[in-house]
Amino acid sequence: MSDEEKKKPLTYLEKLRQSALNQKNYGGEVNMEEARVEARDCPNCGAGRAYRHGLTACAYCGFTFMDIKLTDGVHIKKENNS
Amino acid sequence: MFNFFEKEYDNPALIEKIKQTQNKWISFLEKLEARMKEMCMGALPELKEVFEQDNDPYKRAHGRMVSALQGQLGQMREKANEVKEEKVFNFVHHASATIPPITTKAGRKYDDMLYAFRQVCLDRHRIFEEKIHYYFSLLKGTTGQQDLEADYQEQLTAFESIKDKFGCKQCGGNITIPKLFFIATYVTCPFCHTQNTFLPSTATQLVFHNARSLAEQRTAHLLKAYEESETKAPGLYQQYLRSMFDEWNKIVPDMAEENEKFYQRLLKDNSIDHH
Amino acid sequence: MSENPLLAPIHGITLEDYSAACAKLGSGLSENDVAKALGVELPVWQEANLLWPERMKQDGTFHIVTLFGQYFGQADQHPKFGNLKPVVSAEGANNTEKIKTDIDFYQELEVARQVAYEYGIDGAQWIADKYGINLGDFQVAASIWNEQIQKDLQTDYAKYNENQDTYRAKYKHLFAEAQGGNVADDIEF
Repeated sequence: MSDEEKKKPLTYLEKLRQSALNQKNYGGEVNMEEARVEARDCPNCGAGRAYRHGLTACAYCGFTFMDIKLTDGVHIKKENNS
Repeated sequence: MFNFFEKEYDNPALIEKIKQTQNKWISFLEKLEARMKEMCMGALPELKEVFEQDNDPYKRAHGRMVSALQGQLGQMREKANEVKEEKVFNFVHHASATIPPITTKAGRKYDDMLYAFRQVCLDRHRIFEEKIHYYFSLLKGTTGQQDLEADYQEQLTAFESIKDKFGCKQCGGNITIPKLFFIATYVTCPFCHTQNTFLPSTATQLVFHNARSLAEQRTAHLLKAYEESETKAPGLYQQYLRSMFDEWNKIVPDMAEENEKFYQRLLKDNSIDHH
Repeated sequence: MSENPLLAPIHGITLEDYSAACAKLGSGLSENDVAKALGVELPVWQEANLLWPERMKQDGTFHIVTLFGQYFGQADQHPKFGNLKPVVSAEGANNTEKIKTDIDFYQELEVARQVAYEYGIDGAQWIADKYGINLGDFQVAASIWNEQIQKDLQTDYAKYNENQDTYRAKYKHLFAEAQGGNVADDIEF
């Protein structure tokens, strides 16, 4: 094999490596976020989101947070319907 | 040999052509094999480095590189197939039309020769295919390097250190996250009963994403035992599957109920396959 | 079909909702956008997002996954997502429309996408860069054309194959050229 031929795959690998590393990942880079806690106030009466009669409506003014029927899921259960 | 009845058909040019074609075919495949070996062996350390350098949790730069190298192997495979079609099959086809009928002695002799040529070429091609297959697996194998167990243990430790450090968004009271949640989950403040939402870290979500793969890593020895068993005993496969699901459930206990349903389905599919 | 317990809504999120949501996530909407469009909070969406794939895994008849594909293809018609579209260029919008109405255009780009991967290029990103079509819309197009392609395959396999080969040759040439040729181009019989 001539030197020219020997060089070919190596040049290819070098280029391939650059191209693999330099390409943008679809959807952008994964944003590594830390764990955190959030809370929502009632947009109607401004009260904090208390759990008294379930998750779907405001405990104070009855405002509907979510117009759905909760079923038995992983952590959220039927009993969490307001 | 004497033949008193007919002038024996003789075609030394064809014999020479067969010999040459066979040698060229073998040397062509050897060159391709040398190139694929050089490419793949050269790529292995590069792949390892790219895997380590790749900050993307899905290791997509590494994935792209493996995919490209496999693409080049595929390219070599196609090249060999095209040549096989043209220089082996078509050659035999055309040459067969020029020789005497196989009902004659000479016809049989040349037909045997072409048949043997075709066979030698195909046998050599099978070896070539085996090598391609070997390098495909070799490249694919470089993706198994991620130590999922370490990632998982790291998240467990990280969670232990942060689980008591959250405060209620309403009253500021201390909230303890009861267990390692993998998805956004409501947590109630023990003081003011406000519904807070706990959002796990991206790293924790990734552990969940890899839970099955981790369970498979933990039970790989059982799958290997099944695959290496001579009879491919279904009992061994079921033993592996059960253990894999047990490990999976240990990693994500919240999904155990759903996982069991999936397990039952796999068992059912498996028993259908064995009938 | 409503008797099938595997089709019962999860936290009020139906399979239609879930399928359309997945298509929209693929077109660049965030989980928060999707949850909002469905009228639920993030924990509720994430549970549904976890449990619908479980239902598909549990269904040995592949009925759920088939329906998922159909609804996915109809995501643009879903009332909850109708107006939610990510920002795209005019050309991107044209191409996105075209891929859903022109089967040849879709088939050519599908081949291009596959060949791109064989050359170490993220095919989804390549199509987004070159045509302004995002992955979600591309997958929606795939669900739209899937049935027609199966039919074409059965009616005229040779013609289908010939088209595929033409596209393959075209894009292999294009991507090979861009990387300075294939590794074994110099090896001849």
